[in-house]
Amino acid sequence: MLFAVASDMFGGPKETPPQGPPPKPFKLPAPEDFTLPNGMQVTIVPYGTVPKVAVRAFVQAGGIDEAAGQVWLSRLTASLMKEGTTTRSGEQVAREAAEMGGQLEVEAGSDYTSAGGVVLSDFAPQFIALLADVLANPALPGSEISRLKTDLVRELAIDHTEPQALARERFLKTLFPDHPYGRVFPAESDLQGYTIAGAQGFYRKNFAAGRTHLYVAGKLEGDLRHAIQDAFSGWAQGNPAPDLPAIPVKARSLQVIDRPGAAQSNLYMGLPVVEPAGQDYIALGVMDALLGGSFASRITSNIREQKGYTYSPNSQVSTRRRLAFWVQVADVTTAVTGPSLKEIFYEIDRLRKEPPSVPELAGIQNYLAGLFVLRNTVSPDAIIGQLHFVDSQGLDRSYLSTYVQKVMAIQPADIQRIAETYITPSKMTIVVVGDQAKISEELAPYR
Amino acid sequence: MPITYYKLSNGLRVILSPDSTAPTVVTAVYYRIGFRVEPKDRTGFAHLFEHMMFQGSQNLGKMEFIRLVQENGGILNGSTRFDFTNYFELLPSNKLETALWAEADRMKGLAITEENLKNQQGVVGNEVKVNVLNQPYGGFPWLWMPQYANSNWYNSHNFYGDLKDIEAAKLDEVQAFFKTYYAPNNAALAVVGDFDPEQAKAMIAKYFSAIPSAKLPPTPDLTEPRQDKEKTATRKDPLANRPALAFAYHMPPRKSPEYYAMGLLDQMLLQGNDSLLYQELVKKRGFTGDVSGGINSDLGDMFDYDGPMLWTVSLFHDAGVKPEQILSVVDTVIDGLQARPVDQSLLDRSITKMRSSLYDSIAQFGGFGRANLMACFALFDDDPARINSLEADFRKVTPQVVEHTAREYLRRTARTVLLIEPGAPSPAAGESPK
Repeated sequence: MLFAVASDMFGGPKETPPQGPPPKPFKLPAPEDFTLPNGMQVTIVPYGTVPKVAVRAFVQAGGIDEAAGQVWLSRLTASLMKEGTTTRSGEQVAREAAEMGGQLEVEAGSDYTSAGGVVLSDFAPQFIALLADVLANPALPGSEISRLKTDLVRELAIDHTEPQALARERFLKTLFPDHPYGRVFPAESDLQGYTIAGAQGFYRKNFAAGRTHLYVAGKLEGDLRHAIQDAFSGWAQGNPAPDLPAIPVKARSLQVIDRPGAAQSNLYMGLPVVEPAGQDYIALGVMDALLGGSFASRITSNIREQKGYTYSPNSQVSTRRRLAFWVQVADVTTAVTGPSLKEIFYEIDRLRKEPPSVPELAGIQNYLAGLFVLRNTVSPDAIIGQLHFVDSQGLDRSYLSTYVQKVMAIQPADIQRIAETYITPSKMTIVVVGDQAKISEELAPYR
Repeated sequence: MPITYYKLSNGLRVILSPDSTAPTVVTAVYYRIGFRVEPKDRTGFAHLFEHMMFQGSQNLGKMEFIRLVQENGGILNGSTRFDFTNYFELLPSNKLETALWAEADRMKGLAITEENLKNQQGVVGNEVKVNVLNQPYGGFPWLWMPQYANSNWYNSHNFYGDLKDIEAAKLDEVQAFFKTYYAPNNAALAVVGDFDPEQAKAMIAKYFSAIPSAKLPPTPDLTEPRQDKEKTATRKDPLANRPALAFAYHMPPRKSPEYYAMGLLDQMLLQGNDSLLYQELVKKRGFTGDVSGGINSDLGDMFDYDGPMLWTVSLFHDAGVKPEQILSVVDTVIDGLQARPVDQSLLDRSITKMRSSLYDSIAQFGGFGRANLMACFALFDDDPARINSLEADFRKVTPQVVEHTAREYLRRTARTVLLIEPGAPSPAAGESPK
C-alpha cells in the first residue's frame, strides 16, 4: 500500500530532476616537488583560503619492519617519539604545538609512520622545525617506556573484545601467514618484553631522511621551502628501506570465531586482487563501487535496503605497498548469517555472469568522477592522502590527471571481465565472528 | 565569511554562503526536531524517522534519492542529534539545482509503504546492535551518560531507542511526525560552495516557496534542575574486559559569558596532549593512555545544540587503578582552577586552540561544517552571522570569568560519574537507567 503523507499535494505525472548546466572545469591543486641533499622528498601544495596548513611526514618505517616477535614495536617507538627531543621535554613539544593551534601526532601504520599535524598558517615554519626535531632528534626516554607499554597492553586487551577487530586480524593472518602484514596483534608476553634499547634500535634502523617524504598542504604563508631546508638538512640520509614483498594467499577457506550470545555475525571476506600499478586497477575500483562500495551499490541495495539484514555493509579495495586486496564486510543479525552470505555471493555471481547496464555503469562512473573532485579538495589532509597514495605506490603523478578519463572509458563488458577475473568465490577467505552454535549449520555450505 | 540570510514567506530560513575554492557545493536541510523531543513511548523514533526520509517521496521512489545524488557525482547523508535532524548532499557545483529540487520534493511529503518501514526497522535495529548491543563499551559514554546525568525525560531517555520501541513504530506515526515537524517554518536550508547567490535564490523560490507551513506544537519544558549532589552510576558490561570511567558536568546557558568560558575550560582541561587532564592522568600518573570527550561530544560540538548539555570526559583504565584515585587527581586539577584566576598564558593558549578548531569546523568536509554552524544558528538564534563573531566572544573571557565558571559549573556536587565494570550484570541490580 502506498502511503502518501501529504497526498493532496501529489498527483499528475512524475517530474524528472533538473540536470543543471555542464560541470565547471576542475584543475587539480598544483604541487611543487623537490628533494633535499639528504634524500628527503618534499611536496608543497598551496590550497584553499582557510588559514591552516597540514604538515605530514611519511617515513618508510612501520609494521613491515617488525620481526615476528616485535609486533607493535613500531607503535611503541612512535609513542616514545612524542615524549620529547634532546632539547625539549614531551610536555614542551605538546605545548609548543598547541600554541600553534595544533598537535604533533606520530602514528605507525603497516608501511609508514606518519608524523605531523595541522596548524594555523602563521606558524607553519615553526611547526616544521618542531617536527624536524621530533623526527631527527627524539630523546626516546627510558623513563616513559613502562607507562607506554601498560597503555599498549590495555589497548590490546580492549581490541580483543571488538568483533570487527578479531575478524580483520584473522583475515589478514590468513592472507599473509608469513609476512608482517599478517601480524595484526602482538602476544601480550612479547609486548611486555619490549625494552627501551629495542625501541631505540628500531628508530635507528628505520628512521632517516632518505626514507621520508614530507607533504605540506593548505593556505601557505612565508617561504616554507627555506623553512624545510633549514629544519631538515641536518638529518642523516640513512639506508634505503628494505624491500619485503608479500605474496598473499588466494585460497577458499571459511573460518569461524566463536562469540557466544552475539547479537550479530561480523562477516569479513575477500581476496588478493590486482596491485595499484596494474592495468586493471582503476577498472577494479569502478567494479567495486558498483558491487558493494557505494550506498547505491548492488550488495548494499540487496542486504540493507531490500532485506534489512544489516546497517553497515561495505566493500573496498585495501592496499599495502604494491599490492591490493578486495574485502566485503557486513555486521548482520545472527539469524540471517547464512542468508546474508547467500545474497552477497548471489550479487558477485550475477556480476561475473552478465555485464551491468549502460545506465547503471554510467551512474557509477559519474559518482567516481565527482568523488575524485571531493577527494582532491575536501581538506588539505585529503589532498596529501591522494598524493601519498600515488607516490608510495610508485605511480606516476599522471595517475591523478588521467584518472577521470580512464574511469569514463570503461565499458560494461570490462566490469564483468574484472569481476570474473578477480572476484573469484572459490579463492576467497571468509571470516565470520559470531555465535557458533547458532550459525554453524547455516555456514556449512560455504566451507 | 559572506552570508546572505532571508526567510521565504512560508517561514523557511535560507542561508547562502558562496566560496569558490573548489567547484563543489553543499546543500543542507536542517529540521528543528531532534531526539530530545520524541514520543515518550517511542524511544528512538526521531532517528528511525530520519531513515524514512530516504525511502521515497512524490517524484523519487525508494533508492532513487540516493541514486540521484550518487550518479551526479555526490555523496549524501543524514543524522539525528539532540535538537535537529539534518540531511545534506555534497555535489559538483553544477548540480545545485538537482539537490534543491530533491530536498524540496521530500519536504513536500513522503510516499512510503509498510514494507519500507519494516525494512528500515531492520536496518535501524542492526545499527543499534552494531554500535551498542554487540559492541564492548557500546553506549559509553555518549548514549549512557545523558541518561544518568540528566533528570528530565527529554534529556535522559535512550534516544537510540529500545529495540521494542523501534519495532513497534507504525506508519501512521511516521505520518503524524512528518506533519508535525517537517514543515518549512521548522527548517533551515544552507547552501555553501561555488554558486551564484542570485541564481540560487531564484531556484530556492521556485522549488520551496509553494510548500505550506504548519502550526508548530509548543516546545515542552526541557529544563534540568540544578544538580546539588554528586551522582555515581555503575554499569556492568559483559563484553568489556577493562574498567572505564566517565564524568560529566552541566553546561552553562548558551551564549552566556560562562558558556564561552566553558568552551575555553574544555580546551585547557581536555583537548590536546598539552591539556591539564592529559598531563596529569596520562603522562604523570599513567592511569590511562588517553582522555577524551568535550561538550556535546560524539554527537556534535558546543555550537550545534539548543537545550541542557553536558561536558563529558572519559577514559579506560586497568583494574589496579581505582576510580577514587582518578577522581582525586581530577579534583586537584579542578580545585586549582577554582582557587585563583587562571594564568594568562594558559588562557591565551586555549584561545589559540579554540580559534584553530573554529577554522577546522568551518572548513570541515568541503564546507559542510560551515553549513552546519550557520543552519544551527539560523534555527536556534535566527542569526547565522553569529559564525563571524564567535572568536570575539571567546576573546572577551577573562581569568575572573574562568574562575567563577569553574566554581559554579565544575562543582563536585554538580558532577555525575559513570563507571563501567567488566562482567555480567546481576539480575537484581536495577542498573538500567530510567
